[in-house]
Amino acid sequence: MVDAARHPRIDVRTFTEVEKVEGFVGNFKVTLREKAKYVIADRCNGCGDCARVCPIEVPNYFDMNLAPRKAAYVPMSQSVPLVYNIDLDACIHCYKCVDACGALEAIDFSQEDQLVEEDIGAMIVATGFSHFDPSVMDEYGYSRYPNVITSMEMERLNNSAGPTAGNLIRPSDNKNPQKLAFINCVGSRDKRYNPSCSNFCCMYSIKNAILLKQMNPNVDITIYYIDIRTPSKGYEEFYDRAREMGIHFSQGRPSLITEDPETHNLFVHSEDVTLGKVMEKEYDMVMLNQAAVPQPDQNHMSSVLNVAQSPGGWFMEYHPKLRPMDSPTDGVFFAGACQGPKDIPSSVAQGSAASSRASRILQSDHWEIEPTVAVVFPERCSATTRGRACGICAKACPYGAINIFSPETPAEVVTAKCHGCGACVAECPEDAITQLHFTDAQILAQMRAVLADKPEEKILAFRCHWCSYGGADLAGTSHFEYSANERGLRVMCSARMDTDFIYEAYRLGAGSVLYSGCHPQDCHYITGQLIGAKRASRLEKIFDKMGMTDGRFRVEWISAAEGDKYARVLNEMQAVLDDIPMEDLKAEIEKLKPEMSKRLKKFPGVPGVQEAMDYSDILVDAITKQKETA
Amino acid sequence: MNHESIGSLFVDEVKAIPGGEFVEMCYSCGTCVSKCMIQQKGEPEFNPRRLLRMVMMDMKDEAFDSRTTWLCSACDLCYPACPQKIHISGVIHAVKSLAVKNDKKTIQNIAVVDQQTCVACGLCVEVCPYEAIKIIETKVPYRGVINIASVDPGLCMACGTCSAVCRSTSIGVPEEFTDESVVEGLWTWLQSQGVET
Amino acid sequence: METRPKIALFQCKWCLYSEPDQNWVDNELPSSMHLVKLPCTGRINPLYILNAVQGGADGIVISGCLPEKCHYKEGNLRALRQHDEFLNFLDYIGYERSRVRFVWLDLQDRGRIQKELADFKSEIAKLGKAKVLATRSKVSPGGQYA
Ligand SMILES: Cc1cc2nc3c(=O)[nH]c(=O)nc-3n(C[C@H](O)[C@H](O)[C@H](O)COP(=O)(O)OP(=O)(O)OC[C@H]3O[C@@H](n4cnc5c(N)ncnc54)[C@H](O)[C@@H]3O)c2cc1C
Ligand code: SF4
Ligand code: SF4
Repeated sequence: MVDAARHPRIDVRTFTEVEKVEGFVGNFKVTLREKAKYVIADRCNGCGDCARVCPIEVPNYFDMNLAPRKAAYVPMSQSVPLVYNIDLDACIHCYKCVDACGALEAIDFSQEDQLVEEDIGAMIVATGFSHFDPSVMDEYGYSRYPNVITSMEMERLNNSAGPTAGNLIRPSDNKNPQKLAFINCVGSRDKRYNPSCSNFCCMYSIKNAILLKQMNPNVDITIYYIDIRTPSKGYEEFYDRAREMGIHFSQGRPSLITEDPETHNLFVHSEDVTLGKVMEKEYDMVMLNQAAVPQPDQNHMSSVLNVAQSPGGWFMEYHPKLRPMDSPTDGVFFAGACQGPKDIPSSVAQGSAASSRASRILQSDHWEIEPTVAVVFPERCSATTRGRACGICAKACPYGAINIFSPETPAEVVTAKCHGCGACVAECPEDAITQLHFTDAQILAQMRAVLADKPEEKILAFRCHWCSYGGADLAGTSHFEYSANERGLRVMCSARMDTDFIYEAYRLGAGSVLYSGCHPQDCHYITGQLIGAKRASRLEKIFDKMGMTDGRFRVEWISAAEGDKYARVLNEMQAVLDDIPMEDLKAEIEKLKPEMSKRLKKFPGVPGVQEAMDYSDILVDAITKQKETA
Repeated sequence: MNHESIGSLFVDEVKAIPGGEFVEMCYSCGTCVSKCMIQQKGEPEFNPRRLLRMVMMDMKDEAFDSRTTWLCSACDLCYPACPQKIHISGVIHAVKSLAVKNDKKTIQNIAVVDQQTCVACGLCVEVCPYEAIKIIETKVPYRGVINIASVDPGLCMACGTCSAVCRSTSIGVPEEFTDESVVEGLWTWLQSQGVET
Repeated sequence: METRPKIALFQCKWCLYSEPDQNWVDNELPSSMHLVKLPCTGRINPLYILNAVQGGADGIVISGCLPEKCHYKEGNLRALRQHDEFLNFLDYIGYERSRVRFVWLDLQDRGRIQKELADFKSEIAKLGKAKVLATRSKVSPGGQYA
């Protein structure tokens, strides 16, 4: 940390938060809030005279509130930079510190928060994690029983720079505990609180046990666990070492801790699963390995930085295997536990990877983007035709890549920000936006080709590139049998599945249409799936009202790993079609055609669509002719 | 890919009964066992975790014969404690109902009705926490066909609440104590404490 | 002769007592207290209480599981309703309500039953001996007088 602070090209801003982010990869404008320290950093030499004279003591959050600090303070003696700070919430304005500081004149109570704007090329987010508060788990009595502590409190208590200088004492009587229990998975792997595994607590609980045992070989430590997870190199050996040292491991999640009201000793009730026997054991002190949870301000940060969150609340990576340190927004990278709980080696590895990814941006003059970006036809935008931009596209864009500077100016796509999901293209009521490589005309041409022959027997499946297309792929490579009448059509995201495509498919006489994409939490384009899902449910209602047979329009969210589901859904759709007698089906299709055409009135006017129709008519003709001659 | 046995596994039977759906979510942490009072008050063999395991491992007969199947009173102390949010007593109940279907008999001392004295007042029906008692038209020796209380052996858990409310001492669970012994005990104790009567 | 207050303790056998507490209640209860252990507080026949009152008990403790933790789903709640009515009756015949105490215990309340009993005892001592009721004979739950 000291090295980083001294480095000529590293600028450490402590007590500073990101307030606003504008711009795009390579050209971010970031507004920082430098909070007032009430101490002028350049003048403070870190002597600590102010803290010495300060009469106010409050708990030090850095020591997990186990030790006091003054209102004029640094959280720990190794703080970088060593600049004192005045906690105005605690300060009583006696100004003793000002006198103590004397000639240095470093203390300035008139300081205010500063908003600074910086030009930034790339950002690495490393905001880490927070801790589950076990006091909500009544059964473990944390915050009621003094000798039940959390792992973070333990880290401070056995740290040589901690409040007790590394002398482990128990809070009720300041004696050295001899019998300790560590309880794993407190609030993690627990569907009531956090269903996921916190990744590193098994290991640090072994670490703490070994540390304590090294300091005092007579302490008796039992680690209660559901499963011990030691998945990395050398971890299992570390676990072995703990066993060799005589640390006890008991498989079984304790259900209850009770306390002797006199001695404040604790009784841990658990089933030893291996023995199938319930035990109640007495301990001097119990440590709860509380779950790692996202930072309390993670939601706020994700909207400031415009990045997505995974189901558990952690920041979501671009791709879990191939791009784990990239965010979905170009130029923003993740390092460490903010993207999901991980230990120090993995955090460091991800940090190094993120910084090398970021330096690629800083090194280059230009930046390659996805070729499938959106393009506006300004003459069709309602700003031009009716003098007022509706703004639907800007609202739909998950990346905020569409600018509408005033109601009278047509929408503009910031190409560097656009990721090519196509949400705006499908949403635009004026058909004034198109997506390169996925234009309406291109998709229409594909549709007409696959529906050229016996359309009533076909199931037209719209699949999103990232999930349901992969699902269909997996169904194929796994040799799952599914209806041969399926005709797949790939778009980038379910958000691109335009209502016009669906109407057109039925107008062309399609038997069934599948509208498929990712599960909401898996969407590759932050909120693209939500837009697609909303549209799909609207369509479902419309078709229901039109009197379409149930099951001819189906909406399914299928991940790339759900090949079996893809096959099942298609077989079910085939079964629906098989259940309708062919004459009835044809009659229904014919009956609904005028309604579909009515809803498609504007569609042929979309640039390129008429040409596509003409061209595909020739194609369709050729296909049918070929059949006749054959 | 079609195995004969699929769909006929014991675990599938249990999962088909409401309450038994999530049995396979159990990761054997043992929380439920150490929560359980039955296990701690003299039934060391009582082990819900193990019963769930038996279901998963297709050990049908063992599950039917397990004391856990029959003694669980659905107090649901374990349910809020289970980190996998499994309604354990629901699973046990599913196993029990399958066992009853397979003609297995409960090992509980269930409540017995004295058919000669029951007046079908319905007080017991009202208080039974398991809704195990119904007033049913029955043919009773000397009394003809009359309405009297009748206990469902699959539901009764032998709590004795019915015998506490019965005004005619017509229903009761065979217990290690009797009304008389309780009263006798009280009076003997009181007299030993020097009370003149 | 001045005697110590006589207290009858009705306990449900599933009561969430910790092991040492249960051992204490089972084996070390002072002779001025009498333990009646039943499957559930719902199993307490009001006549048991009446007998204790008739026999001259100065106080009655009913100890069971916390309302939502009844071993028999809600036996204790159903019982509570019944006892409540019965207490009105006791009140009516001159047996003060404060001589009956309900104690709902949880496993985490280690050592609480001892405290509760001691506290109750001192309270009863303050109230003095229970009023001698007119009839002093056994009431058998069968309804006949012994
Ligand atoms: C009790 C315990 C013991 C552990 N022991 C070990 C061990 O022995 N070995 C091991 O490998 N791992 C251990 N770990 C795991 C280790 O703590 C993590 O792997 C590591 O801290 C992750 O580093 P990080 O930089 O991603 O996040 P953090 O260490 O959490 O750092 C994040 C930083 O970002 C700051 N920050 C947060 N939000 C903002 C914001 N909005 N603006 C500005 N700054 C912000 C925070 O103040 C913090 O300084 C342990 C964890 C715990 C809980
Ligand atoms: S790392 Fe171990 S202790 Fe932590 S949640 Fe996962 S299994 Fe539980
Ligand atoms: S508490 Fe839940 S997960 Fe744990 S053993 Fe019992 S049923 Fe299984």
